[in-house]
Amino acid sequence: MPTDAPRPAGRSRVSRRDFLKRAGWGTVGMTPLIAGVTRRRASAQTASPYPDWMPASTKPPKRGKLITRASPWDPPVLDPRLTNSVGLFQIASLTSNRLVRFPFSDEAANTTDLTIKGDLAESWQSSPDHRIWTFKLRKGVKWQNVAPLNGRELVAADIKYCYEAYAKDGVQSFTFQEIEGMETPDKYTLRIHLKMPNTMFLQNLAEPVSVIFPREVLEEDGDLKKRQIGTGPYILKEHTRKVRAVLARNPDYFDQGRPYVDEYHILSTPDAATRLAAFRSGQSDILFASSLAEVATLKKTNPDAIVQEYKTVQAVFGLALAQDRPPYNDVRVRRAISMAIDRQKQVDTLYGGHAVLGWGIPYFYFQDKVPTAAQLGPWWQYKPAEAKKLLGEAGHPNGFETTLFYYEYFPEMSSQVQLVQQDLKKNLNIEIKISKLDYTTFYTRYAEGKWDGMAWGYKTGYATGLDEHTYQYMHSKSTKNYWRFSDPVIDELVTKLRKTSDRAEQRTLTKKVLDREHDQVTRMWMPYDGGFLVWQPYLRNTGSLALRRNDGYGASTLARLWIDK
Amino acid sequence: MAIAAAPASHFDEPVAVQLSRGQALWLVMKRKPLGMAAGALLLLLVFTAIFANVLAPYDPLLAQPEIRLAPPSWAHPFGTDDIGRDVLSRIIYGSRISLWVGLVAVGIGTLVGMIIGLVSGYWEGRLDLVLQRVVDAVMTIPGLILALAIVSVLKPNTTNAMLAIAVVIIPGNARIVRGAVLAAKQNRFVEAAQAIGCRDYRIIVTHILPNVTAPILIIASIWLGNAILIEASLSFLGVGTQPPTPSWGLMLSSTGRAFMEQAPWLAIFPGLAISLSVFGFNLFGDTLRDAWDPRLRGNR
Amino acid sequence: MYKYVARRLVLSIPVLVLSSLIVFGLMRVMPGDALTALMGESGNVSAKELQKLRKDLGLDLPYYKQYLIWVWQMVSLNPGDSIFTNEPISVALKKSIPVTLELAVLAMILGLVIAIPVGVLSATRQDKPADYVGRVAAISGLSIPDFWLGTLVITFAAIWFRWIPPLGYASFWDSPWTNIQQFLLPAAVLGFRLSSATMRMTRSTLLEVLREDYVRTAWAKGLEGRVIVYKHALKNAMIPVITLVGGQFGTLLAGTVIVEWIFALPGMGRLTVEAILYRDYPIVQTNVMLVALTLVTLNLLVDLTYAWLDPRIRYQ
Repeated sequence: MPTDAPRPAGRSRVSRRDFLKRAGWGTVGMTPLIAGVTRRRASAQTASPYPDWMPASTKPPKRGKLITRASPWDPPVLDPRLTNSVGLFQIASLTSNRLVRFPFSDEAANTTDLTIKGDLAESWQSSPDHRIWTFKLRKGVKWQNVAPLNGRELVAADIKYCYEAYAKDGVQSFTFQEIEGMETPDKYTLRIHLKMPNTMFLQNLAEPVSVIFPREVLEEDGDLKKRQIGTGPYILKEHTRKVRAVLARNPDYFDQGRPYVDEYHILSTPDAATRLAAFRSGQSDILFASSLAEVATLKKTNPDAIVQEYKTVQAVFGLALAQDRPPYNDVRVRRAISMAIDRQKQVDTLYGGHAVLGWGIPYFYFQDKVPTAAQLGPWWQYKPAEAKKLLGEAGHPNGFETTLFYYEYFPEMSSQVQLVQQDLKKNLNIEIKISKLDYTTFYTRYAEGKWDGMAWGYKTGYATGLDEHTYQYMHSKSTKNYWRFSDPVIDELVTKLRKTSDRAEQRTLTKKVLDREHDQVTRMWMPYDGGFLVWQPYLRNTGSLALRRNDGYGASTLARLWIDK
Repeated sequence: MAIAAAPASHFDEPVAVQLSRGQALWLVMKRKPLGMAAGALLLLLVFTAIFANVLAPYDPLLAQPEIRLAPPSWAHPFGTDDIGRDVLSRIIYGSRISLWVGLVAVGIGTLVGMIIGLVSGYWEGRLDLVLQRVVDAVMTIPGLILALAIVSVLKPNTTNAMLAIAVVIIPGNARIVRGAVLAAKQNRFVEAAQAIGCRDYRIIVTHILPNVTAPILIIASIWLGNAILIEASLSFLGVGTQPPTPSWGLMLSSTGRAFMEQAPWLAIFPGLAISLSVFGFNLFGDTLRDAWDPRLRGNR
Repeated sequence: MYKYVARRLVLSIPVLVLSSLIVFGLMRVMPGDALTALMGESGNVSAKELQKLRKDLGLDLPYYKQYLIWVWQMVSLNPGDSIFTNEPISVALKKSIPVTLELAVLAMILGLVIAIPVGVLSATRQDKPADYVGRVAAISGLSIPDFWLGTLVITFAAIWFRWIPPLGYASFWDSPWTNIQQFLLPAAVLGFRLSSATMRMTRSTLLEVLREDYVRTAWAKGLEGRVIVYKHALKNAMIPVITLVGGQFGTLLAGTVIVEWIFALPGMGRLTVEAILYRDYPIVQTNVMLVALTLVTLNLLVDLTYAWLDPRIRYQ
């Protein structure tokens, strides 16, 4: 079922030979694994055999043809106001644009380059207090030539309409309610007034979910569930629920010459084995593999496939506790639990060393290098004896019973949950009863926020910008604070962060937020591996950047891809 | 009661002898090797389930992630799973779960179905009409869908899976029992007993029940196998047994499928265990049928 | 005969009503309703908004009213909209029914084509090696979990033959070859199970019939007699087989759920399961009622055929 958590990638501390030995492959088959891997510029500490960044292709682009992808997700609804699901945005990222965007893979300086670029806006500036933002739109951008838009020009009033609609109701309302008012002094100018200063406002507008949709459709249909029309590089020609979506090249797209590929078919394939088989038989051109072992298996039958490590810059999942009530509202209990879980072992065994220990903000927002274990604070270290002592001090020397519910987004998650269960039983005598749920029951219960005990929780998967990661997810008043924590220190820090424009100061503040989070164990992040993307050998310009996996939320970059067959 | 031909003494024609159920069964099993095989399989299953804690070399819940996904070896004859648990031990303990799920689900389903069928068939009349319509109504809902809906209503776990399977079994059983009761009522003994004013309860126990137990046991035997399959399907859809329980269905549908290429033994052994057990139950049901009521072929 | 038909028809109605009540009740008792499922993704829904949506979808009415509205919708052949997608259910059904129908029919054909000859072979060579092989194969077919078989088939086809059925669904009228490719494997997997049950049934009823006096007499009379008898015997043996096949249709439909999932076919089974998991009541109710209707009709037809084939049969 749909997962809306994209999977940032990780670093590996295991040498190639160690890894292969662990994955169970002998010397046979090693050669094809190594050949065909070009050692590109990878991030400093990575030792995985695959690069985490693919620079732009130097070959000349070729037009035409069709790419297909077997996708695990089906859009629950087509209305971007009603869902954050990657099932929708794997499509909407291609049919629509945003006011501003993050770089595409062939224009980025490195995988974590998040310089804001113009999408529908050509240029912009903010007032010195970062409360008033003025945007100048590109001229001559046309809506897709589909009724009722029929290719009319995009104007500033369209964008104003969208943002107002987002603020009114739906899943984006919290984000857009920071807008106090908007003006359109002329057709191509949009001025936005915020309720309070936000230096990172642009990032919110660049998030993949902030797509611009047409007012005519909303006014005519009453909702956006039936039709999806935008200004983007691809037109949604056909959408059959549970079967496929057909995207056709938009000949009037404002980025002249692009997209290159004529058609993109997304086939709904909920079963993992079928997706793998589809890639093998050439029916699918792009595949996401959750582990090195899976890639190795694939390489045996498809030695020429292009593999990229999807860079892990943060963890997306962790152990969520009902911390607004006992026993988890006691910080000692949270700290004890955190110390009783052997994260490093999970990294080493389940992910072959190729995962990160787990923290909640993409690390490049506060430092250049991937955090070491020591940097994550004392409560992130594995110290079972101390944990037991601390739990005893908190009044639970004999442990207690609790429940944990989760949905298996990928198989390694089940392994992690059961290892945590064993750790907590062994070290703290905490008995966990696991409930493995289906997707709907899981996220209904999780998002509703009334559950007891524990859950394998997440933050939503699309977030790219810093504001989303901090203010939107961590402020006690935010509706996106799934972890149900309320910390006045964090509230203060993240609000201050919004007002900070100096890059170095931002970094310091962000690190403070992280430190505070790790000190209070407000969100107990767990090891996470971003996985790998695999492409058929005839695809060019395929690279995927951090936080923007291009089979999912980062799909807009596919306009830059072409087929060389 | 089965009638079999027994070797005569000094007469030439065989004399009919009344055999007990058990004797009839044994005779049929001796004659048909497949029946023997079934019996042996089931015996193995029950033995494994009862003596699991002695037979299993390791704790089925002990996770040793350092040796995860290890192929079969002397130390771990069936290999290890995704967090390093010994698969052989889990299969052994899994027999307990499968047997337990099967027995409880089929037990409840059979009992309730039998009661409904008895009441319906013996007293007939309007009660019968209503009950039969209810039974028909439930039977119009495909079994897996019904089980899925029930488990979704309750929490997904082993107990509720058992209940759901029991509910799926009940209507079929009720129908069969009703049919057997109706047939038994034709028996002249029953007419006579009713004529002299015997209490219903006595009639049921003495005359009706014995005719009903044979079909019930035959169907139950086959349903035992089906129950295991339905539990596996529910686990496949994600609403069955919960981890870390070593249920074969869960092992097959979760780690088995996820790691099928990297570690095929994770899927082969639970799949084999399920198939062999269901095979045994089905075959045994056949043998029971051959022994006790050859006329009762082809009922559900 | 007409009285019989009329009586059966009349008796079917309360069955259908009861089915509808059961399904309706089950759906309402499920925890977590469709709306929270729909909007619960980010918990960003104000209570006011939820209220409004609930009202729009008629979920705030008392249960009996909801039930009556739904019954009216079913009877007037206008099943309303899906809660999740707002798409009319009739549209979704129009797309998914042909898929499941094709799958079920193909599976049945494949199943019968294998089962009956093997069953006959097994019965006529009772207790010989051919019989054993047939019986073991049949019981295996009933014992192997179908999702297991389906996954094996797909995985190893891809590894050994670098081929899997073309993903998605192409209707037979649009591109017959693609359609056949798509349905062959799933129908085979589904049919395997069906053929096992049918084969056993064929074998056992044929064995029974072959023991009858008139058959033995014909046998004693000679070869031609045997041929005629086979024809008679088979015809009588077919009666329970037809009953079985009719009854198996329900199991077949249940089996389509898993097979459609694995082979990515957009049929009714998959639609229903996902609707259950998504708490999309209207779809579940409508689908289950449709299946119920089909089964009831099928049972009626089977009984009528039964009565027509063998006038000796009396019914209560």
